[in-house]
Amino acid sequence: MSKRVVHYINQFFAGIGGEEKADIKPEVREGVVGPGMALNTALGQEAEIVATIICGDSYFNENLEEAKATVLDMVKKYNPDLFIAGPAFNAGRYGVACGTIATAVKEELNIPVLTGMYIENPGADMFKKHVYIIETGNSAAAMRTAVPAMSKLALKLLKGEAIGEPKEDNYISRGIRKNFFANERGSKRAVDMLLKKIKGEAFETEYPMPDFDRVEPNPAVVDLSKAKVALVTSGGIVPKHNPDKIESSSASKYGKYDISNFMELTSEDHETAHGGYDPVYANIDPDRVLPVDVLRDLEKEGKIGELHKYFYTTVGNGTSVGNSKGFAAEFAKELKADGVQAVILTST
Amino acid sequence: MVKEIERAGIPVVHICTVVPISLTVGANRIVPAIAIPHPLGNPSLDAKEEKALRRKIVEKALKALSTEVSGQTVFED
Amino acid sequence: MDLENQKRVKDFTEQFGGENVVVVLGAAEAEAAGLAAETVTNGDPTFAGPLAGVQLGLRVFHAVEPSFKEAVDAGVFDDQIGMMEMVLDVDSIVSEMNNIRSEFSKY
Repeated sequence: MSKRVVHYINQFFAGIGGEEKADIKPEVREGVVGPGMALNTALGQEAEIVATIICGDSYFNENLEEAKATVLDMVKKYNPDLFIAGPAFNAGRYGVACGTIATAVKEELNIPVLTGMYIENPGADMFKKHVYIIETGNSAAAMRTAVPAMSKLALKLLKGEAIGEPKEDNYISRGIRKNFFANERGSKRAVDMLLKKIKGEAFETEYPMPDFDRVEPNPAVVDLSKAKVALVTSGGIVPKHNPDKIESSSASKYGKYDISNFMELTSEDHETAHGGYDPVYANIDPDRVLPVDVLRDLEKEGKIGELHKYFYTTVGNGTSVGNSKGFAAEFAKELKADGVQAVILTST
Repeated sequence: MVKEIERAGIPVVHICTVVPISLTVGANRIVPAIAIPHPLGNPSLDAKEEKALRRKIVEKALKALSTEVSGQTVFED
Repeated sequence: MDLENQKRVKDFTEQFGGENVVVVLGAAEAEAAGLAAETVTNGDPTFAGPLAGVQLGLRVFHAVEPSFKEAVDAGVFDDQIGMMEMVLDVDSIVSEMNNIRSEFSKY
């Protein structure tokens, strides 16, 4: 008898809709839906996806506890031998949902789990220590390589086979240390590595230094009533018609715009360029993402010294860590030079 | 982006909906927002109530900026 | 290929029969052309749309391919596509299209 698998996907891969349907509550369908078809074929005779759970990405992320509980109940009913979530590629909310639900299924239902996503997906850093995350490409175009990698690991888990190292089985390193006996002594390996380095030859480190990259918080603002406050956003708010054509996804640039003549933002003068969330609400009233109206009121009332005349914006949707870092390092210098004493950064 | 602004020496507060993401990437001052498509709004309220809600969140953010923190801190209610 | 167009292709194929439908693409590079071509022949490789798992096997061409170019009025082609023909990597596109067709086209 083949093993039973339950699959979790979002509203987009279920063919229900895009951002406008990201708020749908969890639902179950018998058998396969969307990418489940490919996974099922790849799993072959050994296993079968008996049910697919679908949930809207925004709903899951905005209702973590409820959504988790509901989905766990749905999974329990099928009593599966394995749970697979995604693959989420670079979709941030989807990756967080996959990681969250896979972890919950593993910890509360004691069922083996796996998921898949791109290395820069926020869900990857959040959950790599908790569940197996197959490393995939950054868009659904990579489905053709994600599916075989995921089903291979799935079959290993189902058969109770030993899972190899991250490189072997294509999953994101979980940071787990396993002792083993090496063929050569550490001292010899270290000297060999040093000799290679000195000769300018290629070598591979045995331990990549972890990237903690935490920044100490700056001291608090002493007197807000005298402070110059600036607004920054990753929600993609731009002047109407997006004059600098900031991309709706994987932004290659950021914008710096003058709001000295604006007491608030409206649909006449501003819009959002962000392609990763339903833009309707932000387009009707951009203050919902960049709160100029409230800050102007606070400025008039003397609660803050001044709202800085420029705001900085980019689109956070799938924009690489490297790029966002670069943008901010650059404009932070300008903010400092302009005497800005505090920043409010809004994200969707 | 939050970390780079912090690195430049300016105190920064992150208003965002998915707080676990902000915590993972390392923001120090975090204020939870309302929803992904409208972090500082709620279209089901009337304009006045919505603006009052927005103001509440911004005031929380300003409070966060004027509060000393020693590590990552989420400013709930 | 986006969901709406997938649906259109699917509907037209049901309405007119696969042997009576030809898809002409205008993608800017080989990879995008390949994905769209695969979608209307072997099924949506991203499994996100109505053609997920649906193998229509349709005839599919890219606008810069010689077989399309030779089938249309030379003046009109020059007007509408001449510019793009100069800047696109036509060889890669043709190669990708040939691969997809030989593997998946039924007609």
